[in-house]
Amino acid sequence: MTPDPRRLTSTDAQRLIMPTDPWLSCEDCFELTDRFAEELLAHPDTTHLPEMLVHLHACAACAEEAESLIVLLAADVGADPAAALDRLRG
Amino acid sequence: MTLAGPDGATDVGPQPRTPYVETASPEPHEPEDPDEPGEPDWVSDLSSSGPRHEEALRRLHALLLKAARHQVWRMRDQLPGVGAVTVDELATCAADDALVAILAKLGGFEGRSRFTTWAYKFAILQAANEVRRHAWSSREVCLPDDALWSDASAGPEQHAEATDLAAAVQHAMAVALTSYQRRIALALLVEQVPIDVLADRLGTTRGALYKTLHVARSRLRAHLTASGHLTTARGGTP
Repeated sequence: MTPDPRRLTSTDAQRLIMPTDPWLSCEDCFELTDRFAEELLAHPDTTHLPEMLVHLHACAACAEEAESLIVLLAADVGADPAAALDRLRG
Repeated sequence: MTLAGPDGATDVGPQPRTPYVETASPEPHEPEDPDEPGEPDWVSDLSSSGPRHEEALRRLHALLLKAARHQVWRMRDQLPGVGAVTVDELATCAADDALVAILAKLGGFEGRSRFTTWAYKFAILQAANEVRRHAWSSREVCLPDDALWSDASAGPEQHAEATDLAAAVQHAMAVALTSYQRRIALALLVEQVPIDVLADRLGTTRGALYKTLHVARSRLRAHLTASGHLTTARGGTP
């Protein structure tokens, strides 16, 4: 007996078609993430490095690490990371 | 397809590595002032020898341990039943690995961020990977069965009735992706297997898997745009 095909949820579908252009690799994301975290914490409305935001929306692992870095930097200087995190999460 | 944990990993062969591509960078971050209190000249200290070098190593390891503990505790919910001692061991291991990585790449630090920020990212990466690997060490990784997900039996009539986006995406996966792209996309985005865990099991890298995802997503968006389910290849819905 052939099992029924599994079905995607709407959330699954949105993840599967998430835009990933302009292209940025995970390796390049790692190279840029320290500068990007400092920039985003200081200027949450920054327009620098737009490819980082695209990548971080599309790559859960890199996003977790970037968020963590922002939170850690904010704690070091007593800043509120909320605005930077809001921007990061879109 | 099921991939066992580290004790019984199934070898599916290495995948192509994504070549590193240099990206254009803006002006460097203003260099840290070595005379400023609390801002040591890390590169110089770490490149020196004797007690100055040893002291810089001690300070750097303390910094990395702080960042690694921060990361491990952020992901603490992924380690149910794991005691505080093991959690701290994961952080210490991550800090040790980060220290080695930083010393190997010290010449690559260009001052585009503070040194401490640059160092933190290595510890956070290592710690996140430690947690993900530990959390999945005794779990099998399922590469979803193609036959269950591909919906290859759906013909044009069924597709014409597939008015909701999820059904359209599922049909697009059947016709626009290769079997490998479909399995990777489903494992990462539907089954929620951490990308580093999947990379370990497949003998590849996070970057290579993300590249596969990028191509798969691009193909899906192009297919859905052609079929009228998206307004543009960038993902807008009509």
